[in-house]
Amino acid sequence: MSDRFRARLIAIGFLALVFVAAPAALTAFGKSYYWQVADLALIFALLAGSMHLVTGVAGLLQLGHAAFYGVGAYAAALLATKAGLSLAFTLPLAGLSAATIAVLVALPTMRLVSIYFAVATLAIGQMLYLIMLNWVEVTKGPNGIMLFSGMKFAGLDLSRPLPTYLVVAATVCVSLFVLHRLSHSYYGNALRALREDDQCADAMGVDTVRLKIEAFGVSGFFAGVAGALWAHTAGFISPPDFSFQTSILILAMVVVGGLGSLPGAVLGAFILILLPEALRPFGDFRNIAVGVVLFASILFVPKGLIGEVSALDFARRQLAGAWRRDGAGAEIGWR
Amino acid sequence: MTLLQVQGATRRFGGLIAVDNVSMDVAAGEIVGVIGPNGAGKTTLFNLISGFTPLSGGEIRFDGARIDGEKTFAIARKGVGRTFQNLRIFPNMSLFDNVSVGAIGMLGAGPLSSLRRDTKVATEIAERTWTALERVDLAREAHTLAANLSYGKRKYLEIARALAMAPKLLILDEPAAGLNDSETHTLAAFIRDLHAGGMTVLLVEHNMALVMSICRRVVVLASGRKIADGAPDAVRADPLVLESYLGVEEEA
Repeated sequence: MSDRFRARLIAIGFLALVFVAAPAALTAFGKSYYWQVADLALIFALLAGSMHLVTGVAGLLQLGHAAFYGVGAYAAALLATKAGLSLAFTLPLAGLSAATIAVLVALPTMRLVSIYFAVATLAIGQMLYLIMLNWVEVTKGPNGIMLFSGMKFAGLDLSRPLPTYLVVAATVCVSLFVLHRLSHSYYGNALRALREDDQCADAMGVDTVRLKIEAFGVSGFFAGVAGALWAHTAGFISPPDFSFQTSILILAMVVVGGLGSLPGAVLGAFILILLPEALRPFGDFRNIAVGVVLFASILFVPKGLIGEVSALDFARRQLAGAWRRDGAGAEIGWR
Repeated sequence: MTLLQVQGATRRFGGLIAVDNVSMDVAAGEIVGVIGPNGAGKTTLFNLISGFTPLSGGEIRFDGARIDGEKTFAIARKGVGRTFQNLRIFPNMSLFDNVSVGAIGMLGAGPLSSLRRDTKVATEIAERTWTALERVDLAREAHTLAANLSYGKRKYLEIARALAMAPKLLILDEPAAGLNDSETHTLAAFIRDLHAGGMTVLLVEHNMALVMSICRRVVVLASGRKIADGAPDAVRADPLVLESYLGVEEEA
């Protein structure tokens, strides 16, 4: 079985799981609550995937990711309630708002390194969180915003569980595909060079500052899209959804899955959203169990469940086409 | 044709003058060695040329245009490739990915080209990367992690990464540091070969034998000043050099 054939099989398998098996199972057994859990798992897969680009690939420890998720959610909620815009507009606009703020924030902070950068993102996350909490005229503060409009697209009512799920799944899959193209390409290599030694990358002709800002903007964009999905699916948003705790949860997903690994980030998100739900019968013990899983995974697989090396190998050889040169000659690049 | 022209380059760090009014030229196709005792300002001079450190005075021209004051990556894109004294590879990337960064920086593979899968840019990057890897005989190990490479091979990896930039000037900062005699010998042959292929090379080196054997011209620095500039034999006989550098070296 050729690599590419196996690749197709794995990609088709993943899509079948997301678009056929999961909705079928949810329809068969589903209380509406399970649908919400499935939506949430997908939204966090996108959040983890977007943080992966900045923290895993470009190596910038981002401690305020949830704030951009929040900016997207509030942008979508306000555009839907105040301007009556449908999903087709709120999704990209939420992404653009979050990306804009991410780039503005990135401009002065990008010259900071390692821990100083991390603390700066922490401060920015807290600032945005406090704005959501205290700018009552716009965000309604701690009371949050209700979206009564529901999910609509081109006149179709998508507010029933199955259509909602399919919209979320499709948006997340398309977004992850874009992140896959970015992180598994030569562009991704340039970002990885920043993580490894940015001064050295500079001496190779890589415009490091610009690249960091780009990565931050793209990551913010998809966090914003995730926020819009959350606002529309949950129908209610409030500041605690976007607190520091959420940033840390996303970071944990990325680390458990494997820093620098996109499939790892997605897997980490599924585990950390679905595991607490699966353990719900155990009541409060489930939180301890989740902690144990986190701790054990860091202890025993510090490189993550799907490490960067195997993720790159898989993604390039099998999804992005041949990066290896075989006996026949120059089989490289995309294709 | 003068490729690199350093005129009155000066760099102060507080009260210390690391590079003091140094002028030197490198013509296209030349291979020039810069020697001098520890702390003579060799690496600082290289950092001034590649834009890591700003000048306190003087100017640097490359290929006819001033490059001092430009950003490091912009200088690199003009065709200045370099290696580092203390090996700076990307340890958690494969050899292929390490070397590709040199080509990526020069060709500017942006996010859109990777989204569109721009085959033209990608093919060019890949071609350059493979050519550079083959040049240093590391193509067979292209997909191993750089962290797993032996010390000697890391040196060649760094050179390959600079070669993937297709630079007009290759700056090598102590390439033989940490290598044994036979490895140094092989490296000398390699550098001579590069030069024979038309590469302009500027080389800082402690290993006198290496410099004297491959460089047609040697610049000697001591305490930040240039004290000699000429053919290896002339420099070796220069009393000032003997006193400030070779004498010290023999005592050590």
